[in-house]
Amino acid sequence: MNLIGITDCNNFYVSCIRSFNPKLIGQPVIVLSNNDGCVIARSNEAKAVGVKMGQPVFQMDKLISDYNIQVFSSNYEHFGDMSRRVFDSMGRFLENVHVYSIDEAFFEASGYEAIHPDLEEFARMLINTVGQWTRIPISIGIGETMTLAKVANKYCKKHPELGGVFIMDTPEKRNEILSDFPIGDLWGVGYRYQALLKRNGIKTALDLSKMPHDWIKQFMTVEGLRLVYELQGIQCRSLDTEPLHKKSICCAPSFGTKVWSLETIREALATYVARAGEKLRRHSSAAGVVTVFLHTNRFDKVGPHYSNSQTVILPHPTSSTMELLQYADTVLESIYRKGYEYQKVGVILNDIVSESHQQELIFNETPDQRQAQLSKLVDKINGRYGRDKIRLAKQGFYEKNWRMHQRHLSPCYTTKWSDILLVK
Amino acid sequence: MIVLNDRIRIDDIRRIVPGIRLKIPLFSSYVAAGFPSPAENYIEKVCDLNDLCILNAEATYFVRVGSDSMSGDRIEAGDILVVDCSLEPVGGRIVVVWLNGDHVVKRIRFAGEMIVLESSNPKYLPIYVHPGEDFKVFGVVTRVIMKPV
Repeated sequence: MNLIGITDCNNFYVSCIRSFNPKLIGQPVIVLSNNDGCVIARSNEAKAVGVKMGQPVFQMDKLISDYNIQVFSSNYEHFGDMSRRVFDSMGRFLENVHVYSIDEAFFEASGYEAIHPDLEEFARMLINTVGQWTRIPISIGIGETMTLAKVANKYCKKHPELGGVFIMDTPEKRNEILSDFPIGDLWGVGYRYQALLKRNGIKTALDLSKMPHDWIKQFMTVEGLRLVYELQGIQCRSLDTEPLHKKSICCAPSFGTKVWSLETIREALATYVARAGEKLRRHSSAAGVVTVFLHTNRFDKVGPHYSNSQTVILPHPTSSTMELLQYADTVLESIYRKGYEYQKVGVILNDIVSESHQQELIFNETPDQRQAQLSKLVDKINGRYGRDKIRLAKQGFYEKNWRMHQRHLSPCYTTKWSDILLVK
Repeated sequence: MIVLNDRIRIDDIRRIVPGIRLKIPLFSSYVAAGFPSPAENYIEKVCDLNDLCILNAEATYFVRVGSDSMSGDRIEAGDILVVDCSLEPVGGRIVVVWLNGDHVVKRIRFAGEMIVLESSNPKYLPIYVHPGEDFKVFGVVTRVIMKPV
């Protein structure tokens, strides 16, 4: 039997900060979204005193002071490096670690019997090693399919006495866990399907796994059918066929202050396009569709509101920042209206293909290779000398007043020399 | 003469990604005009400080020294330590530990049940770690990066 495992970092953003500041262990800690808007990560202690996921921080003054909750801005530079360290550490012991998100990775759990005869012991060794190397607590769920691995992982998080490992490798165990597993917690079951299933009396994952296939296919498409197979222990999602390339890339942090002028919005958009372009090239891909959107703060009671977005299909997929910006900038110009207090501009890249794939299209007008090379060279230089050392003039050169608020930023312990740990 | 003007501020160098490397050829020779260097065929590998200082990149961290308590081991305030968290803290090695609210650099010794943290500056007394104290080993110091004065 082929087993699949998933590693999930517990309260990952909080753990990253605690990794270098053990004083925070045992204390309620929260991490805020971009612009210090709302809660995106909570320590168990913060959950216990009633902090909700997604809660806006301005509603929490009393809670924060009553329980002395420690508040931090999100620091993706630090979180990203710690994520890399966690999964690279696991890669020392596992053949294939498929990073699924910043705090989750799948791996093949079969085939190690010769070196590690006891799978559970092996999983515990991984937890201890990652703990010692990065001080990030992880939990591991193992099952016959990716979906069941996720179920096992959720289960072991709910049961701390398991010590972070749960292996669901027999049909008996599977049926027992699924019979008590709420449908809404399943991977791929959104709010809409949850409502549909509940209306039809399907409450647990076990109920769902026993539904007739025709019914599932009719109401939940082939995706739903895959889910049912996976719950029965038949692999339908595979580590290799899960899309390697992101389907879309979005870069749209809110402004730190209200912004009126087209010039300022242009600067911000140019910077976001540069970020999105870097991301594209990091994954060796190119984008064929660019969307730009712009809006005022809908929740602001005063002032007129405006929001608009527009999409252009490029003549060919490209990864060049200059080319992307050329289109994005034109779109911005056409959707910008004078006289509004804007809160956000953003760019979304879609129709993402791998770079090698697009070169095979002989009959398409192909992008200028020199442009792609230039962008890659700029990435290399900036990788060495610091972000935006070389930039497009459109990105501007002066202190940005539209930059995000990050009032509670934790140090970049592993990515900035000025921020490294100080020892006495 | 080689002019070493320190144009890149140290703060501007960021990640310890092994991909970003300072390449110093192992052999170097003057190139006679028109003729390829006879040593060229021998340059197979370049020396990389990362290879020398970092054995386990995932578990290695840089920390800055903030006190003179280890000056006897030529570790001074402002120096940078390379700390490997994958190594076992064997008695007698210099380690970074978390102790009662601070990260400190000390030489660790095991005396039965007791852990002793020794400084190498006579101004500082050894610290005895008792069971139950807020104590955890962070990692083992593998290199000291200092700037000669």
